[in-house]
Amino acid sequence: MAEIRIERVTKSFGDKAAVRDTSLTIADREFLVLLGPSGCGKTTLLRAIAGLGMADSGRITIGGRDVTYLPPGRRQISMVFQSYAIFPHMTVRDNIGFGLRMNKVDKSEISRRVNSAAELLHIEDLLDRRPSAMSGGQRQRVAVARALAMEAKVLLMDEPLSNLDALLRLEMRAELKRLLADVDATTVYVTHDQIEALSMGDRVAVMRDGEIQQCDVPHKVYEAPSNRFVGGFIGNPPMNFLDGMIRRNTDDVVVTVAHHEFSPAAQIAPLIRALNGDRITLGIRAENMETLTAPGPDTVPVSVEVVEPLGAQNLLTVEVGGHRLKVSTHPSLPVAAKDELHIRFPADQIRWIDPANDMVLYT
Amino acid sequence: MKVRTWRRRLVPYLLIAPAIVYLAMFFAYPMYQGLVLAIYDDDAVLPVRSEPTLDASEVSKIPQGTALRILDRRSQAMIEDGEAALLTEQWFRVSGSAAVGTSVNGWVPEARIRVRESDAAGNPLTGTVRPKLGQSADPLTDVHAEPDESSSVVGRLEQRVSVSIAEVAVLEVWFLVQPAEDPDEIAGWAPSRYLQVFEDGERGRVHRGTAGEFTSAFIERMIDDRFFEPALRNTLLIMAMLIPLQLVLALAMALVIHARIRFSSGFLYVFALPIGMSDLAAGILFFSIFTGNGLLNSILDGLGLIDGPFAFLTAETTGWILFAIVLAELWRATSIVMVILVAGLQAIPDETLEAAELFGASYWQRVRHIMLPLLKPSIQVALILRTILALQVFAVVIALSGGDVVTVLAHESFRQYFELRNDNVASAYALFILLLSITSAVFYLRSVRSESEVRPT
Repeated sequence: MAEIRIERVTKSFGDKAAVRDTSLTIADREFLVLLGPSGCGKTTLLRAIAGLGMADSGRITIGGRDVTYLPPGRRQISMVFQSYAIFPHMTVRDNIGFGLRMNKVDKSEISRRVNSAAELLHIEDLLDRRPSAMSGGQRQRVAVARALAMEAKVLLMDEPLSNLDALLRLEMRAELKRLLADVDATTVYVTHDQIEALSMGDRVAVMRDGEIQQCDVPHKVYEAPSNRFVGGFIGNPPMNFLDGMIRRNTDDVVVTVAHHEFSPAAQIAPLIRALNGDRITLGIRAENMETLTAPGPDTVPVSVEVVEPLGAQNLLTVEVGGHRLKVSTHPSLPVAAKDELHIRFPADQIRWIDPANDMVLYT
Repeated sequence: MKVRTWRRRLVPYLLIAPAIVYLAMFFAYPMYQGLVLAIYDDDAVLPVRSEPTLDASEVSKIPQGTALRILDRRSQAMIEDGEAALLTEQWFRVSGSAAVGTSVNGWVPEARIRVRESDAAGNPLTGTVRPKLGQSADPLTDVHAEPDESSSVVGRLEQRVSVSIAEVAVLEVWFLVQPAEDPDEIAGWAPSRYLQVFEDGERGRVHRGTAGEFTSAFIERMIDDRFFEPALRNTLLIMAMLIPLQLVLALAMALVIHARIRFSSGFLYVFALPIGMSDLAAGILFFSIFTGNGLLNSILDGLGLIDGPFAFLTAETTGWILFAIVLAELWRATSIVMVILVAGLQAIPDETLEAAELFGASYWQRVRHIMLPLLKPSIQVALILRTILALQVFAVVIALSGGDVVTVLAHESFRQYFELRNDNVASAYALFILLLSITSAVFYLRSVRSESEVRPT
């Protein structure tokens, strides 16, 4: 059992708090991804779990054991570093077996585990070579093999793919996912790449300014962002945002955006009515809008500014009432710049955001 | 197009041209001169010639200092090069009345004429022919066509005849010489200026040669020098004590600074302070500690450990002098090694050390398995630098021993140059130090080779 509990951890560098009062529980054998833009504190949080930067306050337990003030070597964890941190003066075999040697594991056991880790990563041929003569991808495999050979209960990964070129990253991403599915470790994986996060994680924790914004399964993080930041950070293109005015009638609520009236879904209407003030923000993803060539019920006329064919879809930039929206359409829809189009916003796909605190309204 | 690429390829060479000129003028040329001084003797041999003239062919070469037998002498026109202390002869060109009443005009050696009248500058104008002594002597004096005894006789003069002197020729005496030890050697002519002729006029020695020769004489003299062996022994002893101590100490200092504990930058300044002190000042500082009424004696006396001052720095206590030298050098130069090692430690990425820590290596395991192996190139540089500097140790030794009780190679070079005025042997010492430096550097480069260089093929 290696459940990781992070309780109210804060870590500052000088005046700047890198992680503020953050709590998170990572289940045994879960694959959790810490996602966020650079400087959001995701690496700091990972290093606090690793013990490479002690938390200023709060508590961290691994498998029920309080490790907050334990040195990293005694936390029974394993890690893949962003720079790989391979020891350049050792052969690959010695690199992979380093942790086991330091922990005085039996020689035959070391050799067994080194060989099986090397086999998993397909680097058996490199075992007697030195890292100085190896490519980035090979070093990356050595770093992962070294971490896996520890057979630790907790595996930490700090942007392990960020130093690889795009093609290799794509290949390694799938391979890592396959590998880690067979590993009985609780994994914490730090990345700034949302595709990595969504494709690999059991759960994704989105961080910003030292705080976790949302922690949920990938499709929930994508479809139901907890706030405007998560919606705008995740997805390519990011979620569209439109400013609207609330009009409260006696028996219903209407939101006006660019002279067009939207009627919110029945469940959400009471929440909108209860908001302070008249302003509200609508959020909708590019692929969730229906595009029509002719006006229909509840459609909004828009003018097309840019058409970007992306192969599987066309990405349109359209203008409506001073807002610019990104809309993705099927390539079969004939459209060109300066065309007039009609867009329908399905009521269940609209996310209503309170502009006072940028939180998305959910029942 | 072709010209352009040619020019572009030339650019780097043009850029380094000043450096090459600089190296040639201020590095390679002095080095060459120093080398030449140690192994090339400028005036080692004297060529002797088949005839007593400079344009005659050389028949043999006689080394400087060889004892000579002188077989013959002859006078020849002087070589104009301003040399002093020559054996010379004067001849006068005279005219007077011969015995039969005809006028004679020719050359007579100065020894046959008594000068009667000279002008204001001292040039002889008139004289009389000296009489010859003895019954059997020919009373007439030969007059020669040239200022040379072997030239033809143009007339003969009676004794006491008045003559006018028209011209004076100064001739240098040449000697036909042969090495005294070796009568089979071909005899040859050499001018007097290069020879020392003994009073009997039959023996002499080669005073100075005119031609250079490569020689091991200076190196042999250095090795035979009575100070050579102690100087070499002391230098190696200081090196052997100093370098391991210094390396260990510097490593400890570097690890303290690298650990980024509190005040570690303060430690850096304290450790690095002695770099700013000259080696002579460091020597004087330690002299003041070890001298008769110095700091060490005051402390020992104050603690009641000794009765009266103990003389550390005397000829009977060379062990103490060596100890003081090593201590002074340790204090002065350890920080240079430390700075190199700190730089080496800082070049190790943080993540590498963190990885070692995370995989369970204790501090000492990290030092042994990660830091020391990755520091190898820095240690190599530090060892080379320190060994070379230890071979050159000088000022500290002078300050603590005056240079006589405990001497080192660099001081022997100094002594040969300044006290004994023998720049050749001084140069041989310098060359010997260079040789030791190169040997040690090659040794370190081969033995402490960093492992990343060793790649499997």
